[in-house]
Parts: sequence; C-alpha cells; structure tokens
Amino acid sequence: MIWMIVLPFVGSAIAALLPTNARNAEAWLAGVVTLVTLILASASYPAVAAGDAIRSNIEWIPSLGLNLSLRMDGFAWLFATMISGIGFLVVLYARYYMSPEDPVPRFFSFFLAFMGAMLGVVLSGNLILLVVFWELTSVFSFLLIGYWHHNANARDGARMALTITGIGGLGLLAGVLLIGHIVGSYDLDRVLASGDLIRSHDLYVPAIVLILLGTLTKSAQFPFHFWLPNAMAAPTPVSAYLHSATMVKAGVFLMARLWPVLSGSTEWFWILGFCGMMSLALGAYFAIFQQDIKGLLAYSTISHLGLITLLLSLGSPLGAVAAIFHMVNHATFKASLFMAAGIIDHECGTRDIRRLSGLFRFMPITATLAMVASAAMAGVPLLNGFLSKEMFFAEAIETHAISVLDTAAPYVAVLASAFAVTYSIRFIHGVFFGPLPTDVPSVAPHEPPFLMRFPILLLVVACLLVGTIPALTIGPFLHTAVTSVLGARTPEYSLAIWHGFNLPLLMSIVALIAGVILYLLLKDYLSRCEEGPPFFRRLKGQRIFERFMVTVSWRWARFVDYRLGARRLQPQLRLLVTVAFVAALWPLYSRGFTPGRFTLTGADPVFAGVWVLGIVCALGAAYQAKFHRLAALILLSGAGLVTCITFVWLSAPDLAVTQLLVEIVTTVLILLGLRWLPKRVQDGPTIASAVPGARLRRFRDLAIAVSVGVGVTLIAYAVMTRTPPPTIADYFLEKAYSEGGGRNVVNVILVDFRAFDTFGEITVLAIVALTVFALLRRFRPAPDSVDSPEQQRIQTAFDEAQPDRETGETIIDYLMIPAVIMQWLFPVIIMFAAYLFFRGHDLPGGGFAAGIAMAAAFILQYMAAGTRWVEDRLRVLPVRWIGLGLLLAAFTGAGSWLFGYPFLTSHSRYVDLPLIGDMPLASAIFFDLGVFSLVVGATVLMLIALAHQSIRRHRVARTIAAADEETA
Amino acid sequence: MSWANHLVIAPILLPLATGAFLLVFDERRRAFKALVSLFATLALLVVATTLVTFADTAPETGTAANTVYLLGNWVAPFGIVLVLDRLSALMLVLTSVLAIAALTFSLARWHKSGPHFHTLFQFLLMGLNGAFLTGDLFNLFVFFEVFLAASYGLILHGSGSLRVKAGLHYVVINLAGASLFLIGVSLIYGVTGTLNMADLAIRIPMVSADDRMLLEAGAAILGIAFLIKAGMWPLGFWLPTAYSAAAAPVAAIFAMLSKVGIYILLRLSLLLFGADAGASAGFGEPWLLYGGMVTIAFGAIGVLASQAMGRLAGSYVLVSSGTLLAAIGMSNVSLTAGALFYMVSSTLTIAAFFLLIELVERAQDPAADVLAVTMEAYGDDMDEEEEEDEIGVAIPATLVILGICFTGAALLFAGLPPLSGFIAKFAMLTAVFNPEGLGASSGGISLTTWVFGALLILSGLAAMIAMTRAGIRTFWAPIEGTVPRVLVMEFAPVAFLLILCVGLSVQGGKVMAYMDATARSLHDPSSYISDVMSASSLPGPKSVEAK
Repeated sequence: MIWMIVLPFVGSAIAALLPTNARNAEAWLAGVVTLVTLILASASYPAVAAGDAIRSNIEWIPSLGLNLSLRMDGFAWLFATMISGIGFLVVLYARYYMSPEDPVPRFFSFFLAFMGAMLGVVLSGNLILLVVFWELTSVFSFLLIGYWHHNANARDGARMALTITGIGGLGLLAGVLLIGHIVGSYDLDRVLASGDLIRSHDLYVPAIVLILLGTLTKSAQFPFHFWLPNAMAAPTPVSAYLHSATMVKAGVFLMARLWPVLSGSTEWFWILGFCGMMSLALGAYFAIFQQDIKGLLAYSTISHLGLITLLLSLGSPLGAVAAIFHMVNHATFKASLFMAAGIIDHECGTRDIRRLSGLFRFMPITATLAMVASAAMAGVPLLNGFLSKEMFFAEAIETHAISVLDTAAPYVAVLASAFAVTYSIRFIHGVFFGPLPTDVPSVAPHEPPFLMRFPILLLVVACLLVGTIPALTIGPFLHTAVTSVLGARTPEYSLAIWHGFNLPLLMSIVALIAGVILYLLLKDYLSRCEEGPPFFRRLKGQRIFERFMVTVSWRWARFVDYRLGARRLQPQLRLLVTVAFVAALWPLYSRGFTPGRFTLTGADPVFAGVWVLGIVCALGAAYQAKFHRLAALILLSGAGLVTCITFVWLSAPDLAVTQLLVEIVTTVLILLGLRWLPKRVQDGPTIASAVPGARLRRFRDLAIAVSVGVGVTLIAYAVMTRTPPPTIADYFLEKAYSEGGGRNVVNVILVDFRAFDTFGEITVLAIVALTVFALLRRFRPAPDSVDSPEQQRIQTAFDEAQPDRETGETIIDYLMIPAVIMQWLFPVIIMFAAYLFFRGHDLPGGGFAAGIAMAAAFILQYMAAGTRWVEDRLRVLPVRWIGLGLLLAAFTGAGSWLFGYPFLTSHSRYVDLPLIGDMPLASAIFFDLGVFSLVVGATVLMLIALAHQSIRRHRVARTIAAADEETA
Repeated sequence: MSWANHLVIAPILLPLATGAFLLVFDERRRAFKALVSLFATLALLVVATTLVTFADTAPETGTAANTVYLLGNWVAPFGIVLVLDRLSALMLVLTSVLAIAALTFSLARWHKSGPHFHTLFQFLLMGLNGAFLTGDLFNLFVFFEVFLAASYGLILHGSGSLRVKAGLHYVVINLAGASLFLIGVSLIYGVTGTLNMADLAIRIPMVSADDRMLLEAGAAILGIAFLIKAGMWPLGFWLPTAYSAAAAPVAAIFAMLSKVGIYILLRLSLLLFGADAGASAGFGEPWLLYGGMVTIAFGAIGVLASQAMGRLAGSYVLVSSGTLLAAIGMSNVSLTAGALFYMVSSTLTIAAFFLLIELVERAQDPAADVLAVTMEAYGDDMDEEEEEDEIGVAIPATLVILGICFTGAALLFAGLPPLSGFIAKFAMLTAVFNPEGLGASSGGISLTTWVFGALLILSGLAAMIAMTRAGIRTFWAPIEGTVPRVLVMEFAPVAFLLILCVGLSVQGGKVMAYMDATARSLHDPSSYISDVMSASSLPGPKSVEAK
C-alpha cells in the first residue's frame, strides 16, 4: 500500500529530470506509474472487501503521535481507484493535449506528485499525516494551476487557490489538533471509535468549525467557492483531474470520512446545510450565465459538490450513501466533460459559447459523448447522475431537523436541478448545434485522435453502465465503501432505476421540464449577454478577495508596520531605555524597594569635591557634545581623571594606572578623529524652535534620561550599601599568593583566576581594531573637512605674505622643540613599558598597562613627526603584532595541555636571573606578553587607520578638484 | 586529562587560533586564507558533531552527561567553567553548519570585498561558541562582546552607505545592550556574590527577601539585553534593517546571532528561575510569553509588509524569535522540545534564504519589486481581455534550481509539510494543546494557548502569502530578466542547508528524541548544577615555591 503513495512521487522525481521535449517518454512514464498504482489498488480489493481495513505502519515521530500509518478500507479504496484510474485517463489525454513546445517534464512531474499527495490523503490512517498530504495537494495544485505562468490569469488563479485552500488547510490542522486533544490520539481508528466523546466535548464546536473551514475551502463551497472558476486557467487535463477525482473531492472525502464521528449535531447541520444549499443553488445559477465552457463546468462542479455537502449535512445514513454515490458519479461525468471541453478548445482555439456553434458536423463522436455526459450531469434517467439525484430528492423531502433550511431543501433541490438541466442544454446546444461557427480562430476543427477521445469514451460508458445496471456494476464496490464508512449504521438502500411513481420522480420530471423551458426563455439573452449572471455580475468573489488581500495583507500591514515600528535610531534607543527602566522598576515596585543604610560617616569633603567636579565635567561634556566637540572631549577627560583619582582614593592603584593610560590613549585617538568630522555650526534659529513639538520631545527625553539615571543610581546605591554575601572575591584574596603566585591580586585575577575573561577581552580589542581599520580604510573624509585645518591655513598664509619665507616653513617649525622631545622620549617610554610589564605580577602594572604605554610611545612619534616620516623609518606591522599576541596567549594557555592540565592552568616560580636578580616568573607572564603585543598592535592599528586619513585627504582633494574642473 | 577532554574547549580555541594565524599573513594571499579558514570551519564541524555524541551518551536515563571543563584548573564557582550539555552541543553544531554554508558562499566573491573577512568570521564563531559553552555569567559577557565586536566588523563588511548606516545603528543598539548586560550582571553579583551559573542557581533561592527585588531587577535588566539581541518587540526594530543590509553570507551567519539571545534566555530562565528557584520561580516568564506573542504578530505583519525579500527574511527572523520567546515563556517540557526543533529548522531556513535572496536578486531589476506590488494592488482595473498564449514557457535550468530552493524555503517559512517547518510547528502546537502529553488531559484550553496557537498558525499563513507573492513575481512574472550567473559554490550552501531541513524531517523521530532529552534536562537542571559544582580540579603543583 505504501507503494501506491511512494510510486507517484518517485515517478515525479524521474519526470523532473527528463529533458524538456521528452513528451512521449514523459507520457509513458506517467502512464505506467498511474497504471501500476491502479493495479495495486485493484489488487487489494479482495482484502478490503473482506470487511477489514488494510493497515501499515512505519514509525516517523512516535513521541508526537505522528507516524506513517496507512489505512485502506472500502471508502479509501474507492477513492484510490478513482484517483489512479482517472489519473491514468488524464495522462493519456494530456499526452495529446499538451503542445509539443510545452515543457512537459514540469507538467508530469507536478501531476504525479499531486496524484501521490491525493492518494496520501485518502490512504492516511493518521489525521496529522492526512493534513500533511492535504497541504501537499494545495501546494501541487498551485503549481499545476500556475503551469502556464506567463499568463496573468494562471498566476492569479494559482495564488488564489493556494491562499484559500492554504487557509483552509491551516484551519484543518488546528481542528485536527483539537480532535487529537479530545481523543488523545491522532490515529484515525481511535478517532473513528470516539464519536460520542467528541460530540459531547466542549471543544466540539470549535473543532468542527475549523475542520469544516478546511473541507469547505477545499471543496470550493460557498462562501469560498470563487477560487475554483479561476483555477480553470490551468491546462485542461489538470482541470479535468482537479474537478473530478481529486482536490475538490478531498473536502467531501474528509467530511464523509469523519461523518460518523462529527455529524448529527445542529451546528453541523446548519453550517454544512447552509453552505451546501447556497453552493448548490448559486453554483447552478451562475453556471447558466457562463460564456466560457470551462467556467460553466466549474460552476457546475460547485453546485454538485454543494449537493454532496447538503447530503452530508443531513446526518442521516441514507444521505451519506447518496453523497458517496454522487461523488463517484460526479467524478465520471465531470472528468469526461472537461476533456471534451479541452478538445473543443484545442480544435477551435476558443471556449466562448457565443462564438462556438454547430460543431456536431465536425466532431460527431466527441459531440455524442459530450451529450451523454451532459445528460448525466443534468440527471436524465438511465444515466448515473439520475440515480444519485433521485436519492438526493428522496432525502431532501424527508424531515431531519425542523428548521427553515429543512423546509426549503426540496424546493431548492428542484430549482437547482432545473438550473442544471438548463446549463447542460446550453452547453450542448450552444456548442454543437446551430449554424456553422463564423468567429472561431481555428478554421477547420476536426475529430481528435482516437486515443485522446478514448478516456472520454471509457468514462461515458461507465456513466451509462452505472445508470442502467447499477447493481451489477457499482453496487458491490459502493456497498463496501458505504459499510466501511457507516459500519453498523449502514441503512437499507436500493440502487434500482425504478422505484415506482413517487415524489422524487415527480420532482425530477418537474426539474427537467422547467429546465428546458428556462433554456428556451433565456436562449436569446444568453447568446448576447456578458460573462456572469445578472444581478451578481458586478459582485465577483475574485475581485472582493483580491481587494481584501491587498487591503489586509498589504495596506494594513504596512500601516501597522509603520505605526508600531521605528526605523530611526533615536526612537529605538528611547524605547530601549524605557523598556529596560520599566523592566527593572517592576520587581522593585512589586517587591518594595528598600535602600541600604545611609550613613555620612567617613565622607571626606575633598573626595566629595572631586566628585562634584567630575559630575560637572560629565554634564558639561553632554551639554557641549553637539556643537563643541573639542570642549566636550576635554570635559570628558576631566570626568575620566576623576574616575582615576577615585580608584587611587579607594586603594585600587592597578585600575588607576590602567584607567589613566587608557584615558590618555583614547583621548588622543578621538582627538585625531575629530579632525575628520564635518563641522557643525550653531547658527540661526535652532531646530527646537523651528519644528513644533521638538521642544516638548526634548523635555520628554530629558525626563526619561533623568529618571533612568536616578534609577540606576538608586539601585547601585542599594547594592553597595548592603552587607555583601560571601563572594568569590574573598577566595581570590585568600588564594592569590598561595596558589596564584602573585601579590597583586588584581593581576592574578586577570591572568590566572579569570585569565579566560582576559583572553576574551583582548580578542575583543583585536576585533575592534580590525573593524576600525576596515571601516576607515574605505572611509573618505567629508568634503568640508578635506581642506587643511584652519591653523595650517593661517600659517601658510603667513608664509606667503612674508617674502623671506618659503611656503610651508612655519608648519615645519611649528612646535619644533616639543616634537624633538617627543622623539627622544621614545626609548624612555619603551623602558617604562617594560618596567610596567615586569612588575605586574606583584605590583600595579602588567601586560595591558605596558601595552598601552608602548602604544603611547608610537602615538607620540606620529604626532611629533607626521605619518610619512615615521613610516619611512619605523616599519610597524600592527596586524602581525595582534596576530602573534593572540597566538602567544593561546599557546601559553594550551601549553598546560602538555602537562595534562586544562587550558590556561598557570605555573609559577621565582627564577634567579643574572643582573636582575630574583624574578617572579609565572607561566602567566607569557600570557601577559601576548596581551602586551596585542594591545600595542591594536592601538597602533587604530592610530594608523586615523593617521592615514591625512594622506588620503590629498587624494580626495584632488578628485574633488578634478570634478570641479569638469563641471566648470 | 585525556585529549578528548580538551575537545570541549576546541570550538573556542580553533577559530581563535585560525583567526589570529590568518592575521600574520598578508591580506593579498586570499586563496591561502580562504583555504585555511574553510578547513578550520570543517574541523569545527567535526569537533561539534563529536561533542554531540559526548553530550548524548546517556539518553535513556534522561539525565544529561554534562562535561565540565575547569579553566586554569580552578574549581567552580571561583574559576571559569565551560559546560557541555545537549543544548550547548546542539548550538555548536548549528553554528558550525551555518558557518560552513556562509563561508563557502562567501568564497565566491564576498570575502574579497573588505579586509580581514576570514579573521572576523572566525572570531565571530569563537564568540558564538564561547557563549554557548560558558557556564559563567561574566565570561558570557566577554563572549558576547567577542561576537558582537566581530559582528560589527562583519555587518560593515562590503561598505556602501546603506550598509554603513544600518551597521552603525546596529552597533549603537548593541552597545547599549551590552551596557545593560553589565549593569544586570553587576546587580546579580552584588546580591549573590557569584558569577557561576550553577552556583547562582543554588544561591538564588537563598537570597533574602530584602535583596530579592534587587536580584530580580538585575535579572530583568540582563534579560532586556538578551531580548534586544533576540529582537523582541519593541526592541527589535533594528533587526530587519540590519540583517537585510548585511552582505548575504554575513546575514546567513547572523541568523545564529539572534538565537544566542534565545539560547541564553532559555538556559538562564530554566536554570536560575526554574521550578526550584523559591520565591523567584517563573520570574520573567509572562514577559517572555506576552512579549514573544506580540513579536510574532509584529514580525508576521512585517513579513506581509515587506517589498524586498531581504526585509521579508529579516521580519521572519522576528517571527522566529517571537515564537521561541513565547515558547520559553510557557515553560512546558514538551513545548521546549518542539521549540528547539523549531529553532534548528527556522535558523537553517533563514540562513538558506538569506543566501538565496542574493542569487535570485542578481537577475532582478530593483524596480520590479515595486512594480509587482503595484500591479497586484491596481491590476484589477487593467484590461485582461488579451488573448493568451496557451503554450508553456520553459524555465532556464538555473532558475529551476533556484525555484526549487525558493519553494523549499517558502514551505519551511510557512510551516507547510512535508519539510521540517511543519514538523516543528506541529510539535509545538500539539505540545501546547496537550501540555501533559497527548491524551493525558482532554479538558478545556486556556486563552493563552488559543492565542499562541493562532499566532503560530497565522504567522505561517502570513509567510505563505508573502512568499507566494515574492515567488510569483520572481519566477513566474514574465518580466524580461536575465538569467543570473550562479556558481556551484554559491548554490551548494543553499542546497546543503535545505537538504538538512529535509533530513530533519525524515529523521524527525531521532531528532525529536534528542530534543526531548535536551528539554527534560533543561527543565530539571539538578544534574547540571551538581556536575558543575562537583567537578574537581586536578591535584598538582599549585603551590608557590617561595623563598
């Protein structure tokens, strides 16, 4: 049984790989696959007919209750046979229908995959698996409908079909999940056995609403019917298949499958009854007024499926029997009619009934076959459509639940049948009879090849046989199917043609006669009128749907996206700060905020004064940041100095040293960068007064900033004034010397206890340097900062004004003495760096501080002598310093592996070095050396990146000048 | 200690050493650098898969086999520990898989468009792996900084004013996030006196009632830092812009970046504020749940409202994050397992799609995007009566392949079967409807569950509609496009990632079993805690031979 599903998919994969023009090979492949599937299905009939379902189970995701479990009972068998049988006929037909230029591999590949998915739907023994295949049918039908994707109609039709059935599929998934929740299993057998449980459950209504959303969309039932007529943009073989055995039948299949479990409630009756009746009547009514033959057939499909839905809504076993019977009948005549429509289209080049007429003379056999099939569609006696329609009439007059719907049912049934007669006659009479066609693109229509006609013939013969000798042909199979669905509730029913002269027969006769009269009345109007029925012509489901989709999925979505989103940075940061504030405030508020003890003892007025200074500096920096960057930077370094002093004051000399060096280097680097920022001049009215509301926004931002600042201060204060819990810091203090080998606890923490953090942080430094370099390498200064700085311009002007000076002399002379001193300081600072480095383990210092100091030496050189001068004499390759530094640190850490210890385990001892004396030497010192190298490299790299701007500036200036010349 | 034990740290050291090693060579030796980088990443994949087998040795008992690595031979909580459990191993594998794909893709051309690409890329991997492995809160911050710094470099890679603008927004937002991180960690340390995650889990229930508000404030601020990274509404507006502006391979690996925030939230919320956390148990869960649900909605709307595919993918990242956040907020073992599956699947898809977009858009005129939507909006007023040709048009082979990949991605985004996107979605839905297992309770369903389920399904629908729209205008609309030139090297990574999704689906049972085991040990972290705290250091020459 699994092969019945696997085979089409394998065939699909093979078909996709064949060359574009392999029409015959494709057809053979598809034909063989469908035929084998059909044979497999037929072969399993004896087992199915014996009464019990065939099952097979392969584990997929057992923990979720999702397994590849298949289950074939009589009903599934009936469908499987229909799918593979009609599939085979469609393949045969498509071989002749598709043009030699069509890229057939895509067609057959999608077709086979679609068939596989459809077989999967009917054979699934697990509801989730069924949903899987269900969605696959949506996807593949989308691809099939959009096969001629260069046509806008095909694209729109395909998208609409996917959207509608996709929504339904998701609803079905939700519904099935609810069923699983109620029953406790997704297994079909378990679900079918739990009917009472489901019907009595609180979640029954949501479950059926969701499931019916799936089935009604799939079966194109009112109010979701409009996708189906648009899907006729598909190649006709696809339409024939979608409308007969597959796709739309999946919906009614599932409703029949779950009928014993779900039906019988008022909700079920009302939803299905209403949708079914509306589809039945409206579909038939719309079909009359279609000018496109395929459109007529499509609306007729909606109507016939409405009939099936209505039958299923009734909740009576006989209704279910009639529904199942009509599913089969509809499949046979509808497939043949679509094929006939395809032949007409193929031969005449149009499907417009107004333009076609008198084709009987050109293709008598096709016409005869189409006539028989149409008669079956209209429900003419001795054909299969008649039998199921009679059963439907018989059910319609029964009273099932006293309501308006039930009362209206017989009348609607007769009316819809009359309409069916009308559109059937219209199809036959309009196309095959009347004068010779005059307005047809193709001049000489003729009979198609026999093999193209053969599928129609076969189906029409089936219609006839079933219509005349039902008990001998369809009878046993139908019985197997019906018993497998209804089980013990299988009613007594008779497939006889003649039930005596009763009310249903009378209804049939009325409908037939009314239909004929209606056609005669409407004939002239129809041959002139526009597409679409009167009154509803302007009301097109498709248009409404498209407008709706555009409005909801595009206009509204964009609106909401715009209102609830933010693209600019400022509002994002405002939100970020606010959200963080609220998040922190919430626990403080809900648990009650208690600050620690507040004592003024030990507060030193000098220290407090320093802090006031620092605070003033920080505020000033913020205040000046926009228009006076230099002032802001100077103030910022003031604040930084206060931080350094604080560290010293609180006995953290390490931090103070590092902070001081970092402050120096960053300030200098930022100063170098400031030169390249475009000027901001504060002139005229500020934005605050120009833009209404700007002042208000600023006050709001100020309020946010102040409250967040106060908040952070408060929690910091609260934490610091508490008695600290036993922390890991105590351990560090205790073990730094005894196990870390150093007296400087901070340094031991950095290079030993938490060396891994240091390791990460130096990597960060390296990355930042590389990023700055990468960013600035492509950076070109803004046009207004390309000129020499103002000071240099004044100096040059001075030179030019003085006859005894060469231009540029003053610039060279400028700060001559400090420059010389700076150059001489180079070795001194290097010594200082070395000193810092070696004392690190026991006293403030260490690799990081030493590296910064060393970098300062380089910065001084660049400042004193200029980029070119330095780089001519001193070749620094900072990127290598970085790389080697990192590698050294990594190898030091990995060195402990050799001794069987984890990464970064350090070892320390004192070594007696000549000249220097006793040296504390921990393995960590190599690590520190790596840090040193990296810090130097990173800082110098950033320096170079900035310094090279001034070299590049000249290039930019030249290009600007060149551009000016060109424009001039 | 055997060499196998040191393997735990290899995912950090290997990229680091590679990155540093590449710095020593000149920028112009591109081929050599590319080769080294590629081999290192392949080796990383091998290491990561080996580590999964380490972590998954005892699945039947349900207790995880956690490997604890004491850095510097200092015991927890004093030193820094690395902890390998199922979750971190999973994240490592996912990272290395994405890395392979993104790196291979970049070799076609992107790695040439700026300096130090390979180094930054390797450092990014180091940061990610470190963040997944570390068991120490401050060390986590360090690795956050590592990968953030590298991501700053990478997002600016390739330059261009659009990229620089989006990149600088990204940098500023993440710097702000990093500050919050520090504030949060400091508060937590101030109250508990430890940084080790396992130790924190022990100490948090013992925090006095007076201090608890500070602890929670710290945790909240810390959480915000991660939520920024994950892109929760309203903190994630930067994300679609930044991701769609980044170079394709960078965007692909960034798919992992947003999952770091998720990873940490998952780990910490269950470890620190799980069922055993005393008065703080379940702290933050409502935030995650409701924030996550709003994020799904916002992301789904963003998906619909996207004109360009890059932005669509960026918005889908939000959907993915929101889904995971809400799932974490619900705190349910089987939902966590489903969410983990979803995380893997959606990350792979997003990465594949970012790579795919570039290939597809190569052939496209940027104006076509605008035109297609306008046509859809106003097309119904146009005259459609033209006689249409009913003979198909063959699609060129390149486009066929791209089309298949696109369809795959669309199915995965929309959560349609048969690919892993469906399984993930189904796993979460069935878990959320049946929190105690299928059939254990068949009572009513809470409103939150309904909303979450609906959002999950509707976000898939939004993705389906948007992807169909994008797909039709790219592959079907007859706009005279040139067939893009795509190298095998560029196509292969996309296919590789999508085939992995197929594999996830086919091997769903096994994968789900792993996820189940992972989720179980996450929800019951006692073995994690005891493994970390009881890991003993090696005896050795730790004494000073002082005079």
